[in-house]
Amino acid sequence: MLEVKNITFSYNTQETLGNITFDAAPGEILAVVGANGAGKTTLLRLLACLLMQDSGNTLIDGVDSLTRPIAYRAKIGYLSERCPLYDEMTVEEYLTYRLRLKGERQFRVRRRLDEVITQCRLDDHRKTMIRLLSFGFRKRVGMAEALTAHPPVLLLDDPLAGLDLPQRKQTAEVLTSVSGRSAIILAGHEISFLLEWCTRFLVLHRGRLVGSYRVNDYEKDLLQHKIEQQMIHGREEGHQL
Amino acid sequence: MSALQVTWLREVRTFRRSFTGTLPIALFLAVVGWTFVMSLRKSDGGVLQLQTIWGVSVSPWIPVLCSVLTMRLFAEERATGMIDLLLVIPMRERTLVFGKFLSALTMTVFAVSLSSLLPLVIVPWLSPSLKSALHPTAFAMTGIILLLQSSLWCAVGTMVSVFFRNQTMAAVVSILLCGGIPLAFYAVILVWLPELRLNATWMPLITNVYDFSTGLVSTYAIAFYLVMTGLSLFICSKTLALLRLRS
Repeated sequence: MLEVKNITFSYNTQETLGNITFDAAPGEILAVVGANGAGKTTLLRLLACLLMQDSGNTLIDGVDSLTRPIAYRAKIGYLSERCPLYDEMTVEEYLTYRLRLKGERQFRVRRRLDEVITQCRLDDHRKTMIRLLSFGFRKRVGMAEALTAHPPVLLLDDPLAGLDLPQRKQTAEVLTSVSGRSAIILAGHEISFLLEWCTRFLVLHRGRLVGSYRVNDYEKDLLQHKIEQQMIHGREEGHQL
Repeated sequence: MSALQVTWLREVRTFRRSFTGTLPIALFLAVVGWTFVMSLRKSDGGVLQLQTIWGVSVSPWIPVLCSVLTMRLFAEERATGMIDLLLVIPMRERTLVFGKFLSALTMTVFAVSLSSLLPLVIVPWLSPSLKSALHPTAFAMTGIILLLQSSLWCAVGTMVSVFFRNQTMAAVVSILLCGGIPLAFYAVILVWLPELRLNATWMPLITNVYDFSTGLVSTYAIAFYLVMTGLSLFICSKTLALLRLRS
């Protein structure tokens, strides 16, 4: 279980994230939404230990990111927005390399590799050089890499960006299928599509957490309207913060 | 397989497959061959032994080779954003740094070993009379000092690579650091403190090669190379850790 307690973060003197608190358990797909510059990527980078918060704590199953960073990092899978990969490797070589780097035991590497390749529908591209893949498939390889070690927490920065509708649906299916064993936190903009399969929404506005909604508690159209209002104004229509 | 081995193996494979690995080694061998032949002609009838000529022909080019081999190690990862995915892996920064450093050192040692074919194979083949001048132990000692120098330049190159996203910039700064600063230091001594000229021998690193190849092993020199290599790698891993604190 991921617990985020009162984290704040500043770039130089400008506060980028202020007092963010939330938690996420396996089974949840949590969408972090907000306008550009709201702090979504910064929040995910903080959770991935790529930035260090000014104050507050982040814990996964009781392991603190500041006091036990290596044990913490063993519990996360991360997909960055740019989705960088080694172009000179084949898909299979790259995933094997990442699995071994994560310390996966030799006898488990092949099993995990087959599992994740099937899961992300990359069977036809096992031996394809990464530089020959389209952007959509590169994203799939990046996601497969994040899934390989069965992490309890998956952090995905804009996994749907640049994908066409069928690829988005496939991504949603994959994430829904793995959500049973992992808490998934993803950043995104496509609210209407995310409402179809995410279980909870966090709304960020200028570095502040201005809303948290469980999808099942609301009618979808109403929730979409609420979220869009909060993304733009930082509050719901007719409400003062 | 440990994370260190995996990192080392991946980098060595990349060197083997890419022009940035094979081309510099080919050029290095060509330049060393030319320097060796020129030095051999120059010292004809002189007192220099074959292993010394080999050592001083190889030593000045090692910083250039190491700078080119190491320039992409971290600069490329930073430019592509791959560094994020490496820093998310549950391993210490020093493991990553050491794995990459070892891969560059492996390639350098490979290149230097190939260059040893010049005196060991080609010279006796071309002129059998020189075969008696070959002393395997002395060659091993020359090899040790070249290995120590290679590790220092690889460590400096790896360290510089962390500070840049542009590979060419990293290589230029690395060459300046490896060759330019010692030369500038010597020039300053010549201009401002000529009385120290005798104390500051011309290119102490070359002097070390002369000493080791003739059996004058200095523990001070060994300690210097090991400490400077360790210091460079330490700075490199701490800089990598500091990247987390910055945007």
